[in-house]
Amino acid sequence: MIGLGGLAIAPLALGGALLLRRAWTHADARRPWLIAGGWALLAAAIAASVPFLGAARGPSIILALASTVALAVVAAGVELREAKRKAPREVALEPSDRRRVAWRGWLRGFLAGPLGGAAAMAVGLAVAVCFPAEVKTRLIIGGMLVPFLWAGGMAWTLSDDKILRALAVLVGVTVAGFGAVFLKGSL
Amino acid sequence: MHAPQPKKPAGKPIWPKIPAPFVRAMLAGHSALGLAFAALIYLVCFTGAVAVFTNEFNRWEQPTAPVLHSVTPAAVGAAFDEVLAKNPKAHDLFIRMPEPALPRLSVHGDDAKGGEHTWFADASGKIVAEQRTPWSNFQAKLHTALHLPGSWGFFLVGLTGVALLSSLVSGVLSHPRVFKDAFAFRWGGSKRLQEADLHNRISVWGLPFHVVVSLTGAFLGLSVLIVGVLAMVVFDGDREKVFALFSGPAVADDPRPAPVVDVAKGLAVLQARHPQAGFNYIFVEHPGETGQHLTINRTTPGKLSRGELFIVDGNAKVLGEAGFEGGNVGMAIYASLTPLHFGWFGGWPVKVAYFLLGLGLTAVTASGVAIWLARRRDKGRPAPRWERVWVAFCWSQPLAYGVSAIVALLAPSAPPVAVWGATTLLATASAFLWTPRTISIRLRLASAVSLVLAALVHLGLNTGHVVDPVAWIMDASLVLGAVALAVSVKLTKTPAGA
Repeated sequence: MIGLGGLAIAPLALGGALLLRRAWTHADARRPWLIAGGWALLAAAIAASVPFLGAARGPSIILALASTVALAVVAAGVELREAKRKAPREVALEPSDRRRVAWRGWLRGFLAGPLGGAAAMAVGLAVAVCFPAEVKTRLIIGGMLVPFLWAGGMAWTLSDDKILRALAVLVGVTVAGFGAVFLKGSL
Repeated sequence: MHAPQPKKPAGKPIWPKIPAPFVRAMLAGHSALGLAFAALIYLVCFTGAVAVFTNEFNRWEQPTAPVLHSVTPAAVGAAFDEVLAKNPKAHDLFIRMPEPALPRLSVHGDDAKGGEHTWFADASGKIVAEQRTPWSNFQAKLHTALHLPGSWGFFLVGLTGVALLSSLVSGVLSHPRVFKDAFAFRWGGSKRLQEADLHNRISVWGLPFHVVVSLTGAFLGLSVLIVGVLAMVVFDGDREKVFALFSGPAVADDPRPAPVVDVAKGLAVLQARHPQAGFNYIFVEHPGETGQHLTINRTTPGKLSRGELFIVDGNAKVLGEAGFEGGNVGMAIYASLTPLHFGWFGGWPVKVAYFLLGLGLTAVTASGVAIWLARRRDKGRPAPRWERVWVAFCWSQPLAYGVSAIVALLAPSAPPVAVWGATTLLATASAFLWTPRTISIRLRLASAVSLVLAALVHLGLNTGHVVDPVAWIMDASLVLGAVALAVSVKLTKTPAGA
């Protein structure tokens, strides 16, 4: 029965998604109100889940269910097109064309992978060791930062055309992070 | 379904204007990363969607094991004693007690030769059967470690989680039409537009789920590495000191012989202290030694947390708790990671949502590569071989899962991972035979047939026995999945507007 509380609140999220879709399809004077109402209903679903389903568990349940009902609303509005009659559309942006140079590719891979991982690890450990909080809290927060920062660094280094700048920043962060850890030396 | 809509008047954009060169650079990084990790991300997402129902597949695969909604401490103790008697020198035993998702009493331990076994017990604690769930174990291990040796599998899955998280970051930053296209879902017409709509709509509306599963998955996968490095720089390489921080009161290792711990008494003491709580597992370490102790997990209804760990010594005295639910922020986050990752915190509605969103993320990965391939084709540089290989690989997975499940039911001693690998290779080899459209249709149909066959074989093997009712629901779900695949084939064959 524990999941049924989420189902009881899910109609609020569905209402929010429907209002947002209505605002998207009808660009008239009511549009700002529909947008505000849609987001307000989604927020209300999350807020209502806290007393009924728990402070951490409730919003987690509603976010999962709201994503699902929103995608159902998107799917319900599918627009079928004929293969031979291409509709005009705005031209989407293309990825930037880079010169294909082998050493740049390898260096970019090194930055996004091992060096980015080392830099993220250095920052995560620095937080775990130096951050002013209870030991277990800083260990977990520092640990959670590692994949997050590694992912961010990966996105950045794979996109930035100035890879020597990225190299310098990542090396600097790695040295600074591990330096701080070794200077403190213990938890 | 809607007919093409009249073009809307352009309103003032809500999303901040992102410079085109920035978007193009982000797209380049997004493409490079997505292509490099496409197959791994696809595999981890598909297996993860199925792994949400690991407990239900366990019940499906061996549905005749006793279904128990509660057990007495005496029954738990009796089951433990009977399994320990099979190998009195066992280093440790793991007892699972009934809970709503898995209403079984089981004891896991090793035999004198080092072989590992799990036994099911009835309501009195009498051992009645050995667990035989090779397929459920296979699919869980495929998701968590890709069946690779040692910690390599966990690390690779963790790295895949990082790549997925990174793709989410670059994907959001390279999507300037988040609001403008918020509900646009055009199917048919331009292949690239169709795949882009599918990719972007699922990505945006499923974003909270995508961030949660990729971040928690990356952390869980990389935890071995993170703990190793932390131990190296702070504890002279002693990883046990890191784990000890999260394990509650320590019990000194003392191998001197002692009377075997009274598991029933230890559990009863905790039940008396927490009469409203459930207890779902007990880890018994060093039974029969002076340093023996129990680690008992209490679940708290209504919490996101995995529960609270209590340490009980060999005299059934409660030494303390690990502190997962003791108010510490870090411990609370740590305790919520596994439930959040697998969707095990909100009953079946959340599991169904996680399954659908997991399949959605799988579709996002498949469509990402399809967009890249369509873009190449639009630019006059088609990659027909890769188009065939990618379609064949994507649709090989439901087929490989269906075939490996059938073989596991009929021949439990055959390793499902070998069947899965062989089916994946054979199905992917269809790239040499047919066009992408034909590959997609035939593999989807073959997958549908395999799912129906799995349900039929399961029905044939278990009809007439007293069976866990969830097994029938799983059979019906397999047939439903087959119907969905068949309908998708029908829609593919019927052109839009026909």
